[in-house]
Amino acid sequence: MATSTDAPPAASLSGLTLSLERDGVRSDVLRGIDLEIARGEIVGLVGESGSGKSVLALALMGLLPHRSHPEVGGAIRVAGVDMVHGRAEELRAVRRNELGVIFQDPMTSLNPTMRIGDQVTEASGTSEESLRLLTAVGIADAELRFRVYPHELSGGLRQRVMAAIAVAGRPSLIIADEPTTALDVTVQAQVLDLLRELRDEFGCSVVLITHDLAVAGQIADRIAVLYAGRIAEVGPTGEVLHAPTHPYTVGLLRSRLSLGTPRDQELRTLRPETGTPAERMLGCAYHTRCPLAVERCRVEQPPLLDIALASAPGIGGEVALTADLPTDERLGPADHDRACWRTVDDVQGFIHDTANAAPLTSRVAPGPGREPAVRVTDLTVTFALRQNRRQRGAGSSAAREVRALRGLNLTVEPGEAVSIVGESGSGKSTLLRVIGGLTPATSGSVALAAGGAQMVFQDAGSSLTPWLTVGELLGERLAPLGLGRTENRARIDRALTSIGLPLSVARVRPAELSGGQRQRVALARATMIPPAVLLCDEPTSALDASLAASVLNLIREMRRELEMTVLFVTHDLSVARLMGDRIVVMTQGEIVEVGTSADVIERPEHPYTRRLLASVPEIGATV
Amino acid sequence: MSATGIVSPRLRMPGPVRARRRTGRGLSWALVALVALLTLLAIFARLLAPYDPVQPIGALSLPPGSPDHLLGTDSIGRDLLSRTLYGIQVSWFAALVVVVSGLVIGGIIGTLAGVAGGFIDNLLMRFTDLFLALPGTLVAIAIVAALGYNLQNTLIGIGVVWWPYYARIIRGEVKALASRPHVEAARLAGAGPARIVFRHVLPGVIPTAIVTASLDIGNVVLLLAGLSFLGLGQPAPAPELGADTARNLGQLLTEPWIPLIPGLAVLLLSLVANLGGDGVRTLIGGRR
Amino acid sequence: MTRFLLRRLGSAVVLILILSAVIFLLQSVSTADPVKAYLGANASPAAVAAARQSLGLDDPLPVRYVDFLTNLVQGDLGVSYRTHRPVVTDLQAFLPATMELVLWSFVIAVLLGGLFAVSGALRWRGSSIFRGPLLVLATAPPFLLALGGIVLFYAQLHILPANGRGPGETGPTGFLLIDTLVAGDPAGFASAAQHLLLPAVVLAIAPAIAIGRIMRSSLTNTLGADYVRTAESKGLTPFRVLGRHVVRNSLGPGLSMAGLQLGFMFAGVVVVEQIFSWPGIGNYLAASIPTSDFPAIAAVTLVLGTIYIVANALVDVLQAVADPRLSA
Repeated sequence: MATSTDAPPAASLSGLTLSLERDGVRSDVLRGIDLEIARGEIVGLVGESGSGKSVLALALMGLLPHRSHPEVGGAIRVAGVDMVHGRAEELRAVRRNELGVIFQDPMTSLNPTMRIGDQVTEASGTSEESLRLLTAVGIADAELRFRVYPHELSGGLRQRVMAAIAVAGRPSLIIADEPTTALDVTVQAQVLDLLRELRDEFGCSVVLITHDLAVAGQIADRIAVLYAGRIAEVGPTGEVLHAPTHPYTVGLLRSRLSLGTPRDQELRTLRPETGTPAERMLGCAYHTRCPLAVERCRVEQPPLLDIALASAPGIGGEVALTADLPTDERLGPADHDRACWRTVDDVQGFIHDTANAAPLTSRVAPGPGREPAVRVTDLTVTFALRQNRRQRGAGSSAAREVRALRGLNLTVEPGEAVSIVGESGSGKSTLLRVIGGLTPATSGSVALAAGGAQMVFQDAGSSLTPWLTVGELLGERLAPLGLGRTENRARIDRALTSIGLPLSVARVRPAELSGGQRQRVALARATMIPPAVLLCDEPTSALDASLAASVLNLIREMRRELEMTVLFVTHDLSVARLMGDRIVVMTQGEIVEVGTSADVIERPEHPYTRRLLASVPEIGATV
Repeated sequence: MSATGIVSPRLRMPGPVRARRRTGRGLSWALVALVALLTLLAIFARLLAPYDPVQPIGALSLPPGSPDHLLGTDSIGRDLLSRTLYGIQVSWFAALVVVVSGLVIGGIIGTLAGVAGGFIDNLLMRFTDLFLALPGTLVAIAIVAALGYNLQNTLIGIGVVWWPYYARIIRGEVKALASRPHVEAARLAGAGPARIVFRHVLPGVIPTAIVTASLDIGNVVLLLAGLSFLGLGQPAPAPELGADTARNLGQLLTEPWIPLIPGLAVLLLSLVANLGGDGVRTLIGGRR
Repeated sequence: MTRFLLRRLGSAVVLILILSAVIFLLQSVSTADPVKAYLGANASPAAVAAARQSLGLDDPLPVRYVDFLTNLVQGDLGVSYRTHRPVVTDLQAFLPATMELVLWSFVIAVLLGGLFAVSGALRWRGSSIFRGPLLVLATAPPFLLALGGIVLFYAQLHILPANGRGPGETGPTGFLLIDTLVAGDPAGFASAAQHLLLPAVVLAIAPAIAIGRIMRSSLTNTLGADYVRTAESKGLTPFRVLGRHVVRNSLGPGLSMAGLQLGFMFAGVVVVEQIFSWPGIGNYLAASIPTSDFPAIAAVTLVLGTIYIVANALVDVLQAVADPRLSA
């Protein structure tokens, strides 16, 4: 660890509270955060959506959106400057000299009408320095790229430009807000490496904000886990990942899908939120989802204390701690702190408790001798390059035609589940769409068994017609059958029951459902008349990890019950391994590797597959 | 920072939001009610008008507030309130006719183009863009001048140049909706083309169309008044707001109410139409 | 960029051709009989037939359109029924006054619109007070604004004239403000400016508000953009953030609206010129309407329409310069 405890910290937050107003409602976004970022240290800030992690980044920069009328309590100091009460010029000077920022989406974070050289120079001062920086962040031909506009660069290059802007002026702290989320997995790894190199080379500290513990684990020295605007647990990366002491951290680690997740067990999930905001704000915010919650968790907020202090078991298995214990002791960077009433032993005992992971019954054996469910022969799809998708980098603007699929062959047996893995632009979604009949093939053929294809889309919200009720949407599938009214009702009720939703949902419009519920409805519509093949196009990539796991569980369960054939497209190898009997690896419109899941993951043959596997952020098998 | 999924959206929206929306909606309903009131006024203008608008009925050039003539009389003794009420009726219904016909023509062409795509889309939109690229008001003037001056031809002239705007917007909405996954999902679910258009696409277009149209009524009121001011409307002595101002310009410095009252009536119509349009937008919230 | 420029120029030429075709078709369906209008209502049938022959009115439509275009290119727009002069001569006399009025009015509209937009988007103190009056101004018919302006500033306050362009002599440019300045006539210049102010502002109000609204929402959107946050995170001053990142990126919608409004101004100028007795082609058109002087109406439509089409082509080019993604 490149920390020196004597120097003043790069940034410090103490007792930070923040409330924002949205749609006329004020809500507490941060509720008391104490954190110090030492010089040269990389701190991973991990939390689900809604945990307040992105707002924290804006607060550090002194750029809270004044439209939301922020009310800040406590203190934020960056390089000795008070970022809450400082004068505007002071804050600007801090941003100019001490801070660098990398945002999530490099496309929208760069000015579309300004040459990238100018954008870097705004931060660096001179164009010579900008050239040097662009080269330093690994942009080849920096002189050539200097005069291009952001839309002429690929996503990875854009994020490098952001990095060059961030390190301009040798900042003492770089704030990276989900810097890899919008990028392909191989590019992700490069950007993380870049962040570490920047730290090593320039000696700056880094705050890495991410929703993925493993991404933080790749480069962070310390990890702080955020839940509902408070730090649940903070400590050295190795300890947090391998010996977590907070039930939420444990839950996150357990529900995280990895290449080591058991394939023959149901995926573990966090308990869904059931409490009202008022209930959660009273005690520990996590108590409504916590399997270890006791009465005290409901009524009293646990303080963030060193695990050594907070380990002694008291009465009833709770931490023997009273409110009069000193809570203002300064915590060094190497400390491991937690905010939980249960003892460390209780929590760690729970890690190894696998009771809630039900084993799966053996999978359906593909029936020998039957017609294949899907047979794709010499499939080619060519697009005329008309609408230049915003996120896709138009690196080769000369190309007028894009060959999305180049002579593909694939056979899927009935009852088989096949995962298709690839990065953006690999053609994996196009293949799925051609099989579903949504995109016409340029040449070649697709043959489906009787029953046709049904599809579950990435964004469930937009795949459900907003002004129709769930009942009407489901009923549409039944219309061709010409059943009676009562029979229709019965089938809709049965479908809702099968996805674990109450029957009253039939009268509700999609906007009133949560993201996970909508994806369940989409799944019910696809499977209420079992199709020959169920096509899944990244159905969980827009969901938080734990919700994703529950949807994946449901798909696997339905597949078992209906003996359904499944084609599952994903960019995530660990999901592919869990969902498919076989894995198909695609890149640039071609299949480069096909094999059983175990073979592809454990004995990859194609160099591209190996590269993909090497880029997957992993924690290691401890939990 | 969106709390997708963790909490159902209902839980994330505690009391104050709804309360605030309700007051906003209350005001919007009031604005829409104002439009309804104006429409009633226009419908019953003939019953409400105290005198024949064309016949000289009282003393010449009475100022507003005179006992028998609330808004006064013009220089030949016609009752200004009666003329204004008749004028409001003509202007208001003419504007509605233009907007509704624009909506119908533009709606059909826009929907056709958006749904059909390809060659038909191209053809229809080229045609539409052509109209949009020409200066509409001037073309309308030329059309009325060629066909002859009367209300019917004025409506034809404005109608011809007014629909392309709607065609563009509706085609854009149809296209945007048609490319959404829910339409593909409906296709996979087995819905036929007609069902997709009428059940999965058009219901989403209607709010935008209504909002666009209601915000547009005021513009048409102004355009009609302008053309009428230039003499491209009903011939004298028929009461018409724009023309009544133009014909009495000479009295501006001596008896200003005579030319100003019809102009203020136009302002009233246009203001109410705009406020009502804003109300409609708040109530049903089109996407644009 | 060059290709974009050529393409845009080409489409403008096509549009002007189509406009001419529309005018021609209207002329041929026009209820006003050109021969009767030309010779007078009492002309003998023989004279009418001869005139029809000589005017080429009995030729088939396409032939007549080609004639029409040929005449157009040669600067022959026909003879006004009312003034009995060639329409081109009339237009030459009246066009500069209109151009001057519309141009200054457009400048005022853009400046006022920009002011509304910036004060609204940046939430300047007090800017919300003006929302109500602005709404009323935006919804008022231009002729009412003109009359109100005359009553207030001419009849009541006696500070602005309400009639014509002023006593100054026009010179080579036809723009009185410029010509009086060049001629070294400060009194004429001052008077010209005074005469211009009221009609120009009246004509500018509705476009200013329309431009202001669009620009305000586009500014507000841009202010919330991620790249503005990036710019702020560089520690740039607010002035630099606005100048280098916000304004340019929010210009597009305002520019298209300005182009659209320019079209409305060329129509609105007719009413304004009539009320202020402004010796421009709007006034000429207004005078031609009651006499059903179709050649004059058609010619004015064609000329103003052409200016509108060219102006909009310019706006598109400006937009492409502001946003490199558009010309790609």
